[in-house]
Amino acid sequence: MIAPPEINWLAILPLLILGLGAAAVLLVDVQWKPLPSRLNLLAVVILGLAALGTGAQGWWLSRREAGEVAGSPLPFGGMVVVDRYAIFAGLLLIAVAALGVGAGARFFESLGRRAAEGLALLLLSTSGFILLASTTQMVMMFLGLEIGSISLYVLAGFSRQEARSEEAAIKYFLLGSFASAIFVYGVALVFAGTGSLDLLEHRTLLDREIILRPAVLLIGLGLVVVGLAFKVTAAPFHAWAPDVYQGAPAGTVGFMAALAKVGGFAALARVLVTGFESYVGTWGTVVAGLAVLSMLLGSFLAVVQSDLRRLLAYSGVAHAGFILTGVVAGSSGVGSIWFYLAVYAIQLVGAYAVVAAVSGAASAGSPLSSYAGLARRQPLLARALTILLLGMAGIPLTSGFIAKFGVFQDAFRAGFGWLVVVAMVASVVSFFIYLRVIVAMYMQEPEGTEALLVSRPLRVVLVAAIAVTLVLGLFPIPLLRLTAISLPL
Amino acid sequence: MLTALIVMPAVAALIVALIPRRRAELFLPIGVTVSMAPLALAGYLFIEFTAGEPGFQLVERTMLYAPWGFSWYLGVDGISLPLVILTALLVPISLAASVAITHRLKEFVMYTLLLEAGLIGVFLALDLLLFFVFFEAILIPMYFIIGIWGGERRIYAAVKFFLYTAFGSALMMAAIIALAVLTGRETGTPSFSYTDLLDLSMNQSTSRWLFAAFALAFAIKVPMFPLHTWLPDAHVEAPTAGSVLLAAVLLKLGTYGLVRFNLGLFPQASVDFVPIMAALAVIGIIYGAIVAIVQPDLKKLVAYSSVSHLGFIVLGTFALTSGGLAGGVVQNVNHGITTGALFLLVGMIYDRRHTKQIADFGGLQKVMPAYGAVFLFTIFASIGLPGLNGFIGEFMVLIGSFPSLPVHAIIAAAGVVLAAIYLLWAYERAFTGVPEKPENQKLLDLNLREKMLLAPLVLLMLIIGLYPKVLLDRVQPSAEAVLDRIEATTDYVAPAPGRLSQVLLIGEGE
Repeated sequence: MIAPPEINWLAILPLLILGLGAAAVLLVDVQWKPLPSRLNLLAVVILGLAALGTGAQGWWLSRREAGEVAGSPLPFGGMVVVDRYAIFAGLLLIAVAALGVGAGARFFESLGRRAAEGLALLLLSTSGFILLASTTQMVMMFLGLEIGSISLYVLAGFSRQEARSEEAAIKYFLLGSFASAIFVYGVALVFAGTGSLDLLEHRTLLDREIILRPAVLLIGLGLVVVGLAFKVTAAPFHAWAPDVYQGAPAGTVGFMAALAKVGGFAALARVLVTGFESYVGTWGTVVAGLAVLSMLLGSFLAVVQSDLRRLLAYSGVAHAGFILTGVVAGSSGVGSIWFYLAVYAIQLVGAYAVVAAVSGAASAGSPLSSYAGLARRQPLLARALTILLLGMAGIPLTSGFIAKFGVFQDAFRAGFGWLVVVAMVASVVSFFIYLRVIVAMYMQEPEGTEALLVSRPLRVVLVAAIAVTLVLGLFPIPLLRLTAISLPL
Repeated sequence: MLTALIVMPAVAALIVALIPRRRAELFLPIGVTVSMAPLALAGYLFIEFTAGEPGFQLVERTMLYAPWGFSWYLGVDGISLPLVILTALLVPISLAASVAITHRLKEFVMYTLLLEAGLIGVFLALDLLLFFVFFEAILIPMYFIIGIWGGERRIYAAVKFFLYTAFGSALMMAAIIALAVLTGRETGTPSFSYTDLLDLSMNQSTSRWLFAAFALAFAIKVPMFPLHTWLPDAHVEAPTAGSVLLAAVLLKLGTYGLVRFNLGLFPQASVDFVPIMAALAVIGIIYGAIVAIVQPDLKKLVAYSSVSHLGFIVLGTFALTSGGLAGGVVQNVNHGITTGALFLLVGMIYDRRHTKQIADFGGLQKVMPAYGAVFLFTIFASIGLPGLNGFIGEFMVLIGSFPSLPVHAIIAAAGVVLAAIYLLWAYERAFTGVPEKPENQKLLDLNLREKMLLAPLVLLMLIIGLYPKVLLDRVQPSAEAVLDRIEATTDYVAPAPGRLSQVLLIGEGE
């Protein structure tokens, strides 16, 4: 007799809340036609509930570890997993999405009746990436990846009047689907090589047996890495990012980039660390190569950009490289990766929120010249962007420094000292990139004189992002402790 | 207490931040007043400090994050004490000298105070990660001070300053991580603590690479030839307060770091690197002096003179004798005092005439007798006239380096002569003769505020010059401790202390 799979609704509670919430937003809109700003609020409430649901998972997990409640952390036949890794990913993704609603508030309001669609897509995308991070089944990962990505493709083209927004959406969709296809092909080859889709089974299999001809498995693993490298904009799979992040509506770019990065890295690290850590000698070098390429290409290409959105996209490539430096350390690098992702994702949302405020929420493109003298026109925005950029540069006393330091340290410990040296050189180049923007804001004369409005949601987002940069820069210990235990099963 | 010394300037910056923007007249007075608190505490530190003890004193140590081995670890010894006091003294002085700044004054005062917090932190930190945090964090306020309140080419200078130093410290960070990881492998617990890292055993190539990474960061900061090119730009463009702090304290981060970390952590590599470091130091002495001679810009002249003077400090440090090491530390302080004073003086004349070109002046001595007198006095101190502070340091360095590096010492001695040439020649052109230019004829002499700014520095030049014991009693034991460690861990034997009689005996061929 086949035992029925264990059902644990708590394990999918955040997904349920977000999925039903997305439907609720659409229904509420049809029924009551509320103001878009009310819908924004509703979306934040739904995200808050999802965060509570994730918190409940954490509470359940800690009680389970204490032996107070029974139940498997792998319910539904192992299709989803409740571990600290998934919970941290969930909370981070929800926080990014909530800040994304704040940063995009003006954009959603400008959409009028279509605001509900945009918000529903945002919620669905969040749920997709949460699923991606909270499963050890590669097929479920694919499902999460697609739910998350397809919503983002649509959002990228949400400014229908903007030709560049259309272009961004098409580009993102075509290249993204291509990457998903590569990912799923890789999953198939991994299955062919091991006979399983479950990373936990891969681990036990590889611990127990030596695969004599691992070529199929390794090719499959390589394709999985390539598919995920695309999502996290690691070079050489980054080419879409500058165009998409330049063309997509400014109000959506921040969470678009941050969600994909957090979800993608969560999946990448879980695949490599949980499933295939015993092959670290093989994939370590490949990932290190990706890291070098991303850091150098990203930093150097960012230098020549004249549009802040492209600049941030290229610097995002470099950041993907820095995070990959932590990935090469295997399971001992997971804590540092989380710290880095948490800090960077929120800084990214904050930085793109400033972009949206300066060049208009629905705009495409944001030339650097429009930031000249920003300190004079709107000191709050200039100050916020300065702090966020210094944080991204990894200047000490910002959390970006702790983040970089953590991944570099882990890479060094894993024997990748040369990678750390390359990374340090790349980060000096990236200083120059961010300094250019700061110079423009503080040391050049403004072009226009019209004052820029800072809406209340935007203010909240900026304050949160600054707090993450400065408070965690001065007092990083609590988050370091938290990330150090947010390990996969 | 050491924590308070770091926190106090930061709190002072906060206090200034709370002053409403429209009360612009309050920023400077309040800034100067609040910066007196760290100065008072530094004075107290001087009293609390036990002279004659080589080790770290008033140590504070709290583990912050054990998995990394990162702790809040502060301590002061004879090498860092004078630099802490110098910093605390120069900040109120340079703030009070900044009356010419009217634009965004509040931020200026805040950045200066934050800079002070960072500088004191660098000198006190005994945890390498903590040290690095302060070392790097200093760049931000200094970057803004040059970039916002600087001269015409300020953006170029600020970015150049930032990138040069950031590049050096990037490799140092890799080296710091390497040290922590190596201790982790050796003892099982990673640590960034200076005292733990002293016990680390390294193979030769590792220690040489790490030495090189640290040395590069500090050599850029010093700056040593050929990495000095950021310095003239930064100095010329920086506002007076920026120049003073840059020359007097920021450059000392380099020489301090060489003594503390390069000599301290890599004794064998230090001995191995002596030829390179000493050669670069001597080149810097001569090159800086020769270039200074031909500078038409007074500020640039002082900037190049710094390159030359800091060469002496590096030479003394890498002579690896107790006299040279102690002389280097003493010269750190002396250069801070005299060059700080010179930049203040240049700033004062710039505020009046809005030019720094020597050719635009002439006969100033007649118009501004007090100014001329202080200027000449400072020049004498800088040249190393016996009885003034510069003499003590330079003489110790030369005497100290002669036994181990006689050729270098002899060439370096020529630097003293060149210093006399460029400084006195500049003085002659700017101050002597008849004031021919009409703009120069009605210049006002030093006012009371300016006299009060210069008085403590002039006083210190005299005190250290006449009674150097007050400094040496504190510096010498710590410097000797560094040397003792090198002798204990390597087969290097320092030549006998370079007493004058011995030097002369060698000269007679005995």
